[in-house]
Amino acid sequence: MNRKITKVISLMAVFGCVAIAFTSCEKRDANSPGVEFMPDMYRSPSLESNMAYVKIENGKETGDTLQANRMPVAGTIARGYMPYTYPNTAEGYEAAGANLHNPLENNAANLKEGEELYGKFCVHCHGAGGEADGLVAGKLPGPPPAYSTLKNLPEGKMFHTITYGKGLMGAHAPLLSQEERWKVVLYIHKLQFPNGKPTASDSAAVAKPAAPVK
Amino acid sequence: MDTLFKKPKKQIFAIFSFLFLSLIFSTNNAFAADGEKIFKQNCAVCHSLGSNKITGPGLAGVFTRVPSEQWMHSWIKNNDKMIKSGDAYAVQISKFDASQMTIFESTLSDDDITAVMKFIKEYKPKVEGPVVADTGNTGTPKEEGVNPLAILIGVIAFLIVIVAVLRGVRHSLKNLQNEKMGLPEEEAIGPWTELKQWISSHKRTTTVIILIITGGLLTSAWYGLKGIGVYADPDQKMEYHPEQPIAFSHKIHAGDNAINCQYCHSGVERSKTAGIPSVNVCMNCHKGISKGKLPGGTEEIAKIYAAAGWDPEKGEYNKPQSPIKWVKVHNLQDFVFFSHQQHVKVGKQECATCHGDVKTMTTVAQVKPLTMGWCIDCHKKTEVPGMKDNPYYESLHKKLAEKYKGQPITVDKMGGIDCVRCHY
Repeated sequence: MNRKITKVISLMAVFGCVAIAFTSCEKRDANSPGVEFMPDMYRSPSLESNMAYVKIENGKETGDTLQANRMPVAGTIARGYMPYTYPNTAEGYEAAGANLHNPLENNAANLKEGEELYGKFCVHCHGAGGEADGLVAGKLPGPPPAYSTLKNLPEGKMFHTITYGKGLMGAHAPLLSQEERWKVVLYIHKLQFPNGKPTASDSAAVAKPAAPVK
Repeated sequence: MDTLFKKPKKQIFAIFSFLFLSLIFSTNNAFAADGEKIFKQNCAVCHSLGSNKITGPGLAGVFTRVPSEQWMHSWIKNNDKMIKSGDAYAVQISKFDASQMTIFESTLSDDDITAVMKFIKEYKPKVEGPVVADTGNTGTPKEEGVNPLAILIGVIAFLIVIVAVLRGVRHSLKNLQNEKMGLPEEEAIGPWTELKQWISSHKRTTTVIILIITGGLLTSAWYGLKGIGVYADPDQKMEYHPEQPIAFSHKIHAGDNAINCQYCHSGVERSKTAGIPSVNVCMNCHKGISKGKLPGGTEEIAKIYAAAGWDPEKGEYNKPQSPIKWVKVHNLQDFVFFSHQQHVKVGKQECATCHGDVKTMTTVAQVKPLTMGWCIDCHKKTEVPGMKDNPYYESLHKKLAEKYKGQPITVDKMGGIDCVRCHY
């Protein structure tokens, strides 16, 4: 009888240990990406973007890591890139407003792309209707001005602002190409003038001139 | 009713006086509150009420700096005129920043400006109370766990020591008893011999123990094999969601604030990789948003400033910069080619198809296996968009339609499961 009880107890103990061992195997460390099978095929000698590489100096691995994304060689110009010549100063802003005009045609295709781009890059601050009621605008120290108050803002100044940023707004040139920026400007005009932008002759009919924006 | 109609003049007078009074009260109230509202709408985008610079200088203690209140009034109204008139202080502060202050002459009335100045003068910073902890979906304290294997080994070693000691005690006790009863001294036997004796007398128990140990080893081997190369788990119990250098929450940014995925991952339509945003993209918003709502949020935002070299007090980039070492979550092997551009721009796939509902994730997890079987599966099911409205490939599309009469044209039907499509 005594022996039977010890047997049962020892069996239960062993069973418990095994159960713990089994369940501890099932959970995996959230920080571990798993075991790599044949890692030399997972990682090729060619550099992949957004990966870190170990820095090698004099044939020895240093503790430092290097990014695969590098600065281009000095003087490199990307395909299709056009330099923007107006400087990021108050004078450059005025000059862009006076001389810069939208090279794109105001057609349905450009407007549609402008709307898509606006929905991705502008809407969270400037709001769907351009009334500065985006979800992020409320969290900033002050909302951006509503487009309806900027009806006299020349398109060149809009382009300049998207390129370099202004006030709290950051530069969006890294996110939008020049053509895309002009498409956004087209769409902002549509938000400001849903029935079409008045031509120069009837610009006097536009209600009250808004503040001259600097 | 009748009486009212009989005395129309009195009634009109009453209505008018009521309207007049309410007008006075409402304008009075508006006047009191307007300063703050006008400030928020017109000034706050460039000026803080503290001492930090945004684009313009911070306004704390501004009235001790300016020559007079009258000067301040005229400055807000038309700063350009004052600079051009050669006012010494105006010329001095016009050099504060490259961008010039907005002229408010046509948008704000004299009363508005007075109200704003009153608001700035009377503003007292709120004393910040302790931040109330949110439901705790982020920033849960990390469990400081001891490795269970170490505990197990420790326990086993402890048991071995106890067994050895007890065996010695038992042996000497037995000999003591033998001595008392006049029996010869028992010889000490080694533990190995004793184990052998125990096994030969307990055959059934030994079999059970051996079976259990074998089962355990097989199961752990099975789990080990399952962990090779496959990061995600369909039950989402074992998914890979590494800790990132900044506790960036996609739930707050893409979910609560509904910022489009492509605002930060702007390469997705024009490049093989969707791209990790550079710090200047973070700064597009966080230049203005320096405090987090959740506990620890402000510290996490400060990490962006450290990476960008931004000095929030002075409002300029004047410190050394250092890259943020994000941990890659969705990592395809180098021997397979994958292009985001082709899937998102041409194939019109949603981000969530492969990345799961990132909008609800505080730390991003890999929820899809990213295995070849999974790729092929999708290529067999997904119809190719733009088969009808792309005139450039019209003849090719017609041929495909003739070949697969009536069937939907899926990716595999135009070579989407050829080996060299992805491996070359």
